[in-house]
Amino acid sequence: MGICQALHKQGSFMYSDLNQRLKADVRLEEGLQACMNCGICTAICPAAEFYEYDPRSIAITVQSGNHEKIAALLESDTIWYCGQCMSCKTRCPRNNCPGLIINVLRKLSQETGAFIKSRMGRQQYLIVKSIGANILQFGYCVHPTSLVPATHPEQGPVWRWVYENMHEVYAAVGANLDGDGPGAMRKISPTDLKELHQIFKVSGGLKLYQTIGHFSQLKAIELGLTDENGDADMEKYTQYLLNE
Amino acid sequence: MNEPDMETKTKIRWSEYNKEIANDKFFYLRSCIRQNFNPGAEKVFLSILQNKLGKEVYDDPHHTTCSGIGYHSDIVPFETFQTMVARQFSLMTERGYKNCAVSCITSFGGYNEVLSTWKEFPEELEKTRENLLKATGRTFEIPENLSHACDIIYKFRKEIAAQAPYRLINKETGEPLKIVDHIGCHYAKIFPEKGVGGSEYSRVLTGMIEAWGGEAVDYPERRHCCGFGFRHYLIKNNRSYSISASRKKFESMQPYQPDMILTNCPGCNMFLDRWQYALAQIEGKVYGGKNGIPVLSHEELAALVLGYDPWKDIGLQMHQMDVEPLLDKIGVEYDPKLKFTGVKGQYINEPEFTGCLARTD
Amino acid sequence: MNNKHVAVIGGGIAGMEAASVLARQGLKVTLIEKQANTGGKLNDWDHLFPDFSSPEVLVNSLATKTKDSGVNTVYNTEISRIERAGKRFELRANQDARFYADAVLVASGFNVFDATIKEEYGYGLFGNVITSVDFEKRMKKHGQLHTIQGTDPKRVAIIHCVGSRDAKVGNTYCSKVCCITGIKQAIEISEMLPDCEVFCFYMDLRLYGSKFDSLYLQAQKRHKIQFIRGRLSEAAERADKSIQIKAEDTLQGRPLRMTVDMVILLVGMEPGASTSQLIQKNQMTVDENGFLKSANVHCARNQSTQEGIFMAGTAICPMAVNETIENARSATTEIIHFFENRRP
Repeated sequence: MGICQALHKQGSFMYSDLNQRLKADVRLEEGLQACMNCGICTAICPAAEFYEYDPRSIAITVQSGNHEKIAALLESDTIWYCGQCMSCKTRCPRNNCPGLIINVLRKLSQETGAFIKSRMGRQQYLIVKSIGANILQFGYCVHPTSLVPATHPEQGPVWRWVYENMHEVYAAVGANLDGDGPGAMRKISPTDLKELHQIFKVSGGLKLYQTIGHFSQLKAIELGLTDENGDADMEKYTQYLLNE
Repeated sequence: MNEPDMETKTKIRWSEYNKEIANDKFFYLRSCIRQNFNPGAEKVFLSILQNKLGKEVYDDPHHTTCSGIGYHSDIVPFETFQTMVARQFSLMTERGYKNCAVSCITSFGGYNEVLSTWKEFPEELEKTRENLLKATGRTFEIPENLSHACDIIYKFRKEIAAQAPYRLINKETGEPLKIVDHIGCHYAKIFPEKGVGGSEYSRVLTGMIEAWGGEAVDYPERRHCCGFGFRHYLIKNNRSYSISASRKKFESMQPYQPDMILTNCPGCNMFLDRWQYALAQIEGKVYGGKNGIPVLSHEELAALVLGYDPWKDIGLQMHQMDVEPLLDKIGVEYDPKLKFTGVKGQYINEPEFTGCLARTD
Repeated sequence: MNNKHVAVIGGGIAGMEAASVLARQGLKVTLIEKQANTGGKLNDWDHLFPDFSSPEVLVNSLATKTKDSGVNTVYNTEISRIERAGKRFELRANQDARFYADAVLVASGFNVFDATIKEEYGYGLFGNVITSVDFEKRMKKHGQLHTIQGTDPKRVAIIHCVGSRDAKVGNTYCSKVCCITGIKQAIEISEMLPDCEVFCFYMDLRLYGSKFDSLYLQAQKRHKIQFIRGRLSEAAERADKSIQIKAEDTLQGRPLRMTVDMVILLVGMEPGASTSQLIQKNQMTVDENGFLKSANVHCARNQSTQEGIFMAGTAICPMAVNETIENARSATTEIIHFFENRRP
């Protein structure tokens, strides 16, 4: 069965053993001891203030083990609302951490391809393209060249000035932008970058990038965002996501 | 006594809690965001340790990102993140160090999460050792001490005060400067025992403020997140989440008219600086100061009281919010003409404007 | 049995009740109180649930009963050790005083949870955050409730489960009496300040007593007390000294941020401070919550794990005033059985 067909038959194939797969992640053991529904997490959750989001009910759903509800969560925007501040961890009177439960749900959503069912989930492709690519290309999550003022208007005129006079400004404050040896924003050497790549290869990092890419391609095709050969056109898909 | 079903914390008043902070011989781990936006802060941190406090700190060119931002935006699996962290520890081991000094709060929280996981689940440590060995041929030791850069500045705050030519006192009025703090969420919210004074009323920044003559001011939304939200800032369409969280903080601190905001997190520092500008552009509102409230990190403030040059040494010109009002209140000597200059002191163009709003005069 | 001597540790309501019953049965009883007066924590309390009666009347009547029954009451004496000496027990006090007894009844009571431990509630930092104990003390002393600014509060939030059912502060058990105390105090505020809005933030309303639910109904119906199902996450002082609080209204599924003039924390009960000392040098143990462990929770609740040492009242677990008194009486039955079944 192809993955396209699988996507249409989620109940039987894609989403088997959801509970077991959640429990296989040690972070669920840490994140969900037993929830008593008190709402302390939701009370101070920045995402709950901003979105229709309730970390308490996430904990309760996962605790219930209800397969349908968990499957629905994996396909929903809901699990992508958490901002990972982990304020919930500090306060829970039962030592739970809804933020950590979210990590486990997101992992499963990506592994099963459920993430492409929701607008917020689909954004993972954009993050792989930006942060994901930065990590492999530069050895940094962020690099000054990736912070283009046009797409970061909130960065303001000072950042624009830094960006436009990049090498001079970094040098003036004693940074070592793209230079050899130690210092801020130094160039990560090819040997070190190679080790980083190997780590991503061996420990499943690259595989996750590929999984996200793979399901995103399927979504692009489903949306008709294809080239003349009928293959997914990921530039069009990127534009689609940016405007979605 | 029966074995309890739930681990309970001992009855501890966290604000009185002291964590262990190494005294010397640090292996430095840089921050992606700090290096990008405030590289001077990392430079002066190393300089304060080496030149003012006589400490040994090693800045290894071989370390990379910990991938923490990727981890918390869920594109980097936990297994990969653990192995990335293990590689940093391997470099530390290779250079003969046992104490980590961490620049980034996301990394700091991440390292602690990984260390805690390895303690709770030894099989995860074994898997990570295998992964790292297979990928790089490396082995590693677990650090004896892992401190954030702010912990180290806190530990030596009195030594810094003793050497400081400046105090956080308004030169004109003689009154202590009113300073609000913002602690990065991942400093102690995940593991209160890893923060000076726990997470609710951490003393790590207030301890510095008070040691250097200022007044730490409480405000209702002190513990609220700056709003980074990882995927929420990274995705342009979600950035309203980020800005609304910061806005909530500014609204909450505004009645106290703070002279500055002190942070310990590279991301928070940048956001609290930039969002003031963005909010002023969107809403026309300035939350304090002449044209915005200066936002400084623990390293930047330490360097400032120690008399480092605001532009050449600390790089405060990379902030959108003007720091000059703060410098003037403290009485820091600086040359305004040198703010926007290049390596050789030559003028290199300047930003369209600084602070929240363009000056109309 | 008449020549047997029982030492009762603690002159609160449990100790007084048990001592007087035992003395009336003809036993020699010494009641040892660490403070200058008997009555314990009830001396600070203004009114009792569920009938709003006076604790002072109750304490006075118990004190009279104790005196009239011939109990020897010793004041200002804190027992630090109970040691077995042959078939008897030797009790040592702080000032080297010693007592000998054939049986010991520990009625050492509880400690009030120290709300400064729950830092996110700001007790000790913010003048308008007080505890349920502070409320009773203020009402007893002044008969009125004012904010730190000296004004009548217009909005009061009463917070349930402070220091109870909370792994973060080391107490996972329920203190049982706080829910009804909160409702009682809400009604008192409402009667005193009819314009004041009162909100109770609870997780579960554990109204186990026969008259408790009617008080709940009265609070809702007659006093318009609002009950919000959600635990308090944090309290912070605003510039005007009012308190900003955050909870989730879990029945609506929405976070809730509001400002109130005062916050009252319903502080829970913890094992008495002397408990850890009292279990040394004998076979007594504590349960998973740190209270004195019963030999059997069903049929030997008042028997400790050390033969000859008995327990009564809140040294065993949180309980209300009427339960404490009943529990003290049941302890006396256990002690009498102990002497009757013991071979001379």
